Amino acid sequence: MPGPTGSLVSSNEAQFILKALKEGHRVDGRQPLDFRAVKYKLSEDDSGAEVLLGRTRVFTAVTAELAAPFGDRGNEGRVSYHVELSPLAVPTFEGARAGGASPEVTALLERALRDSGAVDTEALCVVAGRKVWSVRVDVHVLSADGNIGDAVVLCALAALLAFRRPAVSLGGSDGSQIIVHSKDEKESVPLSVHHLPFSITFALFEGGQLIAVDPGRSEDICCEGHLTAVVNAHGEVCAVHKADGCPLSTDQIMRCIRAAVSTAENLTTQLRAAIESHERARIAQRVRRHTVPQDALNGAQQVPVS
Amino acid sequence: MTVKKAASLESEGKVVLPGDEVLRIPEHGQIRIGPGLQQQGSKIVATRPGVVRVAAGSKVWLDSRQRRYVPAEGESVVGVVIDRMGESFNVDINGPSTAALPLLAFEGATRRNRPNLRTGDLVYARVVVAHRDMEPELSCMDVHGTAAGFGPLEGGLPESVTTSHARRLLSQPTPVLLRTLAGGLSFELVVGQNGRVWVNAPDTAATVAVANAIQQSEGLSEKQAATFAQELLNGLQATRAVKTE
Repeated sequence: MPGPTGSLVSSNEAQFILKALKEGHRVDGRQPLDFRAVKYKLSEDDSGAEVLLGRTRVFTAVTAELAAPFGDRGNEGRVSYHVELSPLAVPTFEGARAGGASPEVTALLERALRDSGAVDTEALCVVAGRKVWSVRVDVHVLSADGNIGDAVVLCALAALLAFRRPAVSLGGSDGSQIIVHSKDEKESVPLSVHHLPFSITFALFEGGQLIAVDPGRSEDICCEGHLTAVVNAHGEVCAVHKADGCPLSTDQIMRCIRAAVSTAENLTTQLRAAIESHERARIAQRVRRHTVPQDALNGAQQVPVS
Repeated sequence: MTVKKAASLESEGKVVLPGDEVLRIPEHGQIRIGPGLQQQGSKIVATRPGVVRVAAGSKVWLDSRQRRYVPAEGESVVGVVIDRMGESFNVDINGPSTAALPLLAFEGATRRNRPNLRTGDLVYARVVVAHRDMEPELSCMDVHGTAAGFGPLEGGLPESVTTSHARRLLSQPTPVLLRTLAGGLSFELVVGQNGRVWVNAPDTAATVAVANAIQQSEGLSEKQAATFAQELLNGLQATRAVKTE
């Protein structure tokens, strides 16, 4: 059967997927509730992140500039989200239509990260009513192997955590001039992120009786529907998204949400670990080691380490 | 100077990029150039990135990782039926265009006795006509008109690999990965030179294991492939033992 992105799944494969799921197997060797391993590559220049979810590869760039705030929200900055589905990922993602998947993914991203209040927008205020930080998150899907939605949200979140904006201070003769400091002058500042929401999608089979988390390419195409739950490790449900497919009972939805929360706990641990090791690497990169020549040591003088 | 000597002196085993000269055409003797190479005047030039290989003394070709299949006459492919147009099926063989499989290109097929192929079915066929500017044509019969294993594939699980990995799976002697797996499992395997393989085993777990093993074993050395296959078999036996307890 043809999928929305023009990719093909034979009826042999579709029948096998269902048969395997009934026995608790998935075609890539996973269990029904196993999320694929996530690989993070956080950029060294604090500008974004790349995420590999199985073979789905997503890259996000974050930029920030000073702008005037919107009229009624004078003390809040803003974050805007853009998703681009590259034809590299799937050839039918070309042109303005982009296979119809892009607006849905962007909407999911906005609900997951903006509407859940993950990023503190008040912390982006520089001068109330005059200047705020306007952060732009550009997500590019480079390679699609199922579950683009979750990969996009994951990558945008990782990028927002890895991003550093320049430090600002107020100066000038009357203290109202905004000075933006370069990275060499003052350490750049991370964004204030309140909590880590993760988007977790389930492919539905047999009218919702069988679920498979983080669907692969062929599972995405031959399932009977999708349910996405955006949750964090605290068990807070930020969004539930069901746009298509077979109807679900409340029990089935709750079952998915519970599975999503336990998945979110694992994902949170992994993401925190990735951020921490990235932090250590960042600091190590910036430490300038000063080797002391032997004769200076013999002179028993204190040599300042820069 | 024989070609083999010329190639092994210069570029055998070397990685070349499109446009690189691989060989100068010698004055005496014959060379056969295979996929990835093109003659330009008195030179033979690479048209794809890959590793230069020499076989049987006079055939030079490029070994490159490629997912898209370029149809070649005489090769066997695993295709997916997309629809039926008139007197033939439209089959996707993972190439630049779909291929045509005539309804009568099956053993014993007549106008009254049509083959039982529906949209979405997997089919194992032979490439009969493959020309750069034409849609390729397939057949489910060998040159003598017998089925010879071609035809629809029932059940099982298809998997996608690069075309070079598919060729390696088909090479003789049988690759160590398949030999090891066959030692512990019984399964049916059909390898299409278009990068699509089909696995069928009596139980689901074995089918999934073999299909994934084949896909993940690309690029592994002989020793690594043997270890990988053995660990997979051990893992399968362990889960089976747990189930029967």
